[in-house]
Amino acid sequence: MRYFITPRKFVFLLIGMVISVSCENELDLPEAGSRADTMPPEANFSATRDVNNFDIYTFSNLSTSATAYSWDYGDGNTSTTIDGQNQYAAEGVYTITLTASDALGITSTFSSDIEVIEPEEPDAIIPVILEASFEDNSLPDGTGDGRDSWRNSDLGGVIQINTSSSVPDGSQAAKFPSDGSRIAYQEIEVTPNTDYTITYSYRLEGAGGEATVAILPGGGYTDLTVAQGAAIVEFTGSEEDYTLTTLNFNSGVSSTVSILIYNASVEARVDNFTAAVQ
Amino acid sequence: MKTYKILIMLLVVVSFTSCGDDFLEPVPTAVLVGDTFPTNESDLESVLTGVYDALQGVNSLEITDNDLNHGQQIEFYVTEMLSDNTRSKSGEGEAGQFDSFTVQPTNGFVFDYYRSMYSVITRANLVLENIDLAITDGDRMEGEARFMRALAYFNLVRSFGDVPLIDRPILLEDVETQFTRVPTNEIYSFIVADLQSAASKLGSTTTANRASKAAAQGILAKVYLTQGSNYGEAQVLLEEIIASEEYALESDFRDVFYNEANGENIFTVGYVASSSLDSQNFSAEMLNGVGRTSGVNYVTDEAIAALDEFGGDRAQYSKRIDAGQPTQTQVVKYLPNGDASLGIEPTSSDPTSAGNDWIILRYSDVLLMHVEAIMAGGAVTQSSNALESFQLVRNRAGLTDVVEEVTSEQLLIERRVELAFENHRIHDLKRFGAAQQVLTDFSNANGHSFSATDLLLPLPQFEVNLSNGQLTQNPGY
Repeated sequence: MRYFITPRKFVFLLIGMVISVSCENELDLPEAGSRADTMPPEANFSATRDVNNFDIYTFSNLSTSATAYSWDYGDGNTSTTIDGQNQYAAEGVYTITLTASDALGITSTFSSDIEVIEPEEPDAIIPVILEASFEDNSLPDGTGDGRDSWRNSDLGGVIQINTSSSVPDGSQAAKFPSDGSRIAYQEIEVTPNTDYTITYSYRLEGAGGEATVAILPGGGYTDLTVAQGAAIVEFTGSEEDYTLTTLNFNSGVSSTVSILIYNASVEARVDNFTAAVQ
Repeated sequence: MKTYKILIMLLVVVSFTSCGDDFLEPVPTAVLVGDTFPTNESDLESVLTGVYDALQGVNSLEITDNDLNHGQQIEFYVTEMLSDNTRSKSGEGEAGQFDSFTVQPTNGFVFDYYRSMYSVITRANLVLENIDLAITDGDRMEGEARFMRALAYFNLVRSFGDVPLIDRPILLEDVETQFTRVPTNEIYSFIVADLQSAASKLGSTTTANRASKAAAQGILAKVYLTQGSNYGEAQVLLEEIIASEEYALESDFRDVFYNEANGENIFTVGYVASSSLDSQNFSAEMLNGVGRTSGVNYVTDEAIAALDEFGGDRAQYSKRIDAGQPTQTQVVKYLPNGDASLGIEPTSSDPTSAGNDWIILRYSDVLLMHVEAIMAGGAVTQSSNALESFQLVRNRAGLTDVVEEVTSEQLLIERRVELAFENHRIHDLKRFGAAQQVLTDFSNANGHSFSATDLLLPLPQFEVNLSNGQLTQNPGY
């Protein structure tokens, strides 16, 4: 059925073109007052805030069939240029009115509001790590066993708690038995594309073991191998005395990052997490 | 039936010549498009090649018919010369209208560009309509056709605003579809859907002349940045390209343009030197009297100053003094006849039949878009992931001072000097919200007549006439 166009229609097309061309030639100017203004002006504009100055706006004149323009920027300033620009002295809502007129004196007005407001640069979120030192009753509501915030049974068993007066902070630390079957995992909220520092202390209970802390992009991890492969930054250490360790990372596109802790071969202890914006 | 088909073909030719150009050129594809519709996968592949041909355009110095489409070869008139980067040497004629912001609806380059993009779209629609014929390689062919259609619409919507949305082969009588301007946001939704589909169906390619996954991801990221509402998704796409490690910056900036099979270029329009069908003439037109013109796409004083101040090593491979007229400055990125002093070999024995490709997307654009996505419409970023991408681009230019923050103004300048004369400037100015301010200043300094409505091209008068008034003209024309 495609293109079943009869020759008659084809002829029509040609005729149509000829007519339209002749019409155009006949559009001579009328005598003054002999004909109504068939193309009255229609005012229209758009407003754009300057990238670097919140109080400067540029206005693009999108009017049709007009020859003269009058801008009222809503703050007492006016202009008769085609396109407009104005700097506002104070924050607030302003109504901008453009009056467009043609040579016959017909006018059209268009108004639009803008809100001039200094954009707040939101401070980057300082991440909150719950039970950061693995202490009992350290959740915001005063409860918790020191490890409730660090569970993820898809990735591994829950950590144990080491109670001792010689841990770096408080009286408890996370404990990872030598078989490597337990992990700690916590998702924290961050500001995207922001540079953060996380610190912690760790030690191994003998030679030949490893303790790893990894920062993962986003959250929702359910597979340990996937999680281990996704790290933005990680540190694997073998020190046998408590060692303060620093991880610097950029949060990237995500508003969540996850902390993953695991060990191998030798029992590991981890304690005293802190988080800060770089 | 046979006679009928021939008759039909003629009708189609006539109709499309009326609305624009002969969409049946170049010849091999034309036979398929006009005469018989594709009947098997091999036919369909030929039609797909025709999609690329439509963007490539014909070399007007080789095939001199007036009403052919010149596609990518004339894009610099309607983009770069409309910006503050380049101008014609004489300031006269239709080319000069872009210099002085006095583009008329009758401008031939505008019409040519418009119908070229619709030629890409028409041919891509034919591929997609018949994609069921592709039994073995359907995903790739569909992905390529969708990519090309999206690219053409992206060009149209950025340059013309609301445009008719032709999403399938349509009948001649369907004037409603042909001449109804569809709102910009709907065109963008259509583009996004095509590019998402293309990115999922395409893989990597051995040549940047064909659409790839990375090309679709990169253009989609630019669409998101242009919409200004999806910075996070843009960042994810760009980071996927970066993480793929398929692309890297060329160590020598010159080689981006003169060693075409390099690892930086992601999508390019391919040209073949000394080929009447596949060569290009823009390289000649940008020289002094080698092509038909006395020289177009000459560098403005403003662009010279920007390159000298901010370009680093890039300045020498971006512009040079015109030896024949030392008061004038030429673009260096597409020289057909080489430049011994810059170590550039000729790309063709005949400069009017040049083989220099046109780069649509390259890796440094991806890196700078990455910075833009992280800045997310703000005025500044200090985020280390943005600084890293920005620093890579600057290091290659020999500007190794450590960057500690990037403002949107600095990013716009960096894009200007890195991507100078690659048809990005006007779109960048608009995307950064700086176009009206920058071009008003430029226009005042040079005695031109810029107003904000010049940021959209006029719809071709020919189309407006043919629509019997259904197509409304853009304001200001």
